[in-house]
Amino acid sequence: MAIDKTTGRAITFLLGLLLCWHSSGFSQNENARTLFAENKTAILQIRVIDVTSGSKSVIGSGFVINAEGLIATNYHVIQIAASKPEQYRIEYLSAADQTGELQLVDVDVVNDLALVRATDLEAETLPLALAEPPIGVPVFALGNPLDLGLTVVPGTYNGINLSSYHPRVHFTGSLNSGMSGGPTLSESGQVIGINVSTAGNQVSFLVPVTALHKLIAEYQGRAGSVGDMTQRIGQQLLADQEQKFAHMLALDWPTMPLGQAQVIDELKPFVKCWGGSNSSSEKAQFLSADRTCRSEDNIYLSSEFNSGTIEYQFFWLEADKLNALQFYAYYQRLFADFVPGNTADEEDVGDFKCDDQFVIAGNNSAAEKRKTKAIFCARAYKDYPQLYDVLFLQGTVDNSRAAFLSHFTLAGVSRENAKAFARKFMGVAKWQ
Amino acid sequence: MAVIIEVLGWGGKSQRHYRAEGPSITIGRGYQNDVVLGDSHISANHLRLDTVEGGWQLNDLQSLNGVEVIKNPFADSTASTMVLADGAEIKIGRTKLRIIADSHPVEAAKELHRLEKDVGQLNRFSIWLPLFLLVLVIDIGTLYTNSFVEWQWKNSLSSILVTQLFLLVLALFWAGVGRFLREEGNFLGHYNLILLATLVYSLSGWFVGVIGYNLSAGFLIETVLPLFTLLLVALLLSANFALATTMIARQRWITSVGFVGLILVVSIASQMQQWGEFSPYPEYFSALELPALQIGGGESVDTFIENLDDLFADADRLAESQ
Repeated sequence: MAIDKTTGRAITFLLGLLLCWHSSGFSQNENARTLFAENKTAILQIRVIDVTSGSKSVIGSGFVINAEGLIATNYHVIQIAASKPEQYRIEYLSAADQTGELQLVDVDVVNDLALVRATDLEAETLPLALAEPPIGVPVFALGNPLDLGLTVVPGTYNGINLSSYHPRVHFTGSLNSGMSGGPTLSESGQVIGINVSTAGNQVSFLVPVTALHKLIAEYQGRAGSVGDMTQRIGQQLLADQEQKFAHMLALDWPTMPLGQAQVIDELKPFVKCWGGSNSSSEKAQFLSADRTCRSEDNIYLSSEFNSGTIEYQFFWLEADKLNALQFYAYYQRLFADFVPGNTADEEDVGDFKCDDQFVIAGNNSAAEKRKTKAIFCARAYKDYPQLYDVLFLQGTVDNSRAAFLSHFTLAGVSRENAKAFARKFMGVAKWQ
Repeated sequence: MAVIIEVLGWGGKSQRHYRAEGPSITIGRGYQNDVVLGDSHISANHLRLDTVEGGWQLNDLQSLNGVEVIKNPFADSTASTMVLADGAEIKIGRTKLRIIADSHPVEAAKELHRLEKDVGQLNRFSIWLPLFLLVLVIDIGTLYTNSFVEWQWKNSLSSILVTQLFLLVLALFWAGVGRFLREEGNFLGHYNLILLATLVYSLSGWFVGVIGYNLSAGFLIETVLPLFTLLLVALLLSANFALATTMIARQRWITSVGFVGLILVVSIASQMQQWGEFSPYPEYFSALELPALQIGGGESVDTFIENLDDLFADADRLAESQ
């Protein structure tokens, strides 16, 4: 069969594309090779050593950022050494198989960054980029995945992810455990981000280099390491929530309908929302529609403790085929089933203290007033004063055939912000 | 003076007795004896008791299995022959006998408590039937109103059967105790008492639930209801004792309250290990009741939020104490 003109042109175009891809692949490999060779001495494996057993408990990566031996890594890599300095010490392992002790000098828990310092290390330093690279350029993540030795992972810079409150760079490439704290370099060898997490399937996240600039400036401005690391972390958490809630409470919250109720829509960039209902289920005896919004950039404080979570949830229920007693049996089951959206351990927080009250919700006009049962629970942070996890739950109790249930969890929040949020929340989310 | 031969059963309790007159009494399986016993291990002419000073002289008539003296409390130990005193116990074959004089004192009669007479009135089918139906209806009704999936009898049948079977077995147990201790079963009486307690339990649970909900007082449900349930168990036990045993009122109450106290101590002890233990989950009073069962209104959003400061202060105290 003869190839007509159009097909022929298309094939030429495709061949051209393939070549382009091939040549770009070739140049990427070439770049990776050069970057790897030039920078491998600046990139270290960071190991947290258990003093009692003498063996490593955690490994990650880090990189040298100035001639005084200042090294950047992730907070989550060295966290256990920061909270239990008597039980763990931090060490580096260089590309030349040298090891040496590291001293923790500063942290930024909100951005998952830590600064450590080596006294006896002679290594290259990596320059930090001053500006954000354009979206789509190739970048290279370096680190020690799974303790396999220094590795380079090519990928693409996809800009700052706008759907999270704390800015994170979206990097299309595979980060693996052990690469945390390693640098991601531009083609010119400048650090554009710090490897931090992955969502799997080539979707990974970096801490933007601007956060590191800020931390270094704070450290250098103070001239010395932080005396009380716990106090510093507490201050960072307090300041972060202060800023976050000031921003959030100043917004005009978007609303949307759920059943006969008005609920809070996606509050960007704090949360992402999902929803569902049982309307497709043929066996369903009642109607249930729900909407759940939650933050995705939680602050890592330890393997059992994370904070900064914002979560809100709404349920619209109608009795449909159920009688009033059966409907309330289900409603009560649902009402009893709420847990906080963050995890915390005995070492980190006290028990929840809860209060329940009947609250008249709605505007001043009698027609819009609704009797609700409201639950408010709070637990205090043990190491970080003035911070709490709060859980709020409110359900209407004045209609026997329908109900509107709303819930929020705020993790790591001050009293005043929790109260202000609750007030605004109850004002916006309501059965109209 | 006549002699009384008591045949003893399990626990030394008298099953029946024979009264024999005369200076000499024979006991055996043969019909010519004064006291005829059916035990196949007893010889035809087993033993003879001769009235002597201070009791009865025991003469073994060369029986196959002999005579075992179990208890002979007031016997003169210096006597060369075996003399059984008043209240002595012997065993022949597999039968235990107590030998007593007809002048032997008996316990004073126990006053029949008014409650016992009333409880006795409960042993009627005409009371049982409506009670049973009412309990059954409440059981099924509770299951039905708590079900929010498609109602299917087959799913609830086992639960209903297990509950009713449990009540029945309980009634049978008490009837068994009564049959043994008082030789009257009073099965329906016990069954009615148990049904009545179940009924009071269901209704009080519901009532306390509604009151606790309206007062926003979860502790009421957590404390009053278990205590009331224990009181109910004590009452039920005491009434069952009255019907099935010969205990006097004071004994009944001590036993019932003691039993309930034991349950209380055991349940507190089992919960003690959880006291002060950390829980990552909030414990809140989650009860909801139908609008029709609600009394009163509620506070304003402002008041609710203003009052939260106390809660935060409590949370601080909890974190410090743990």
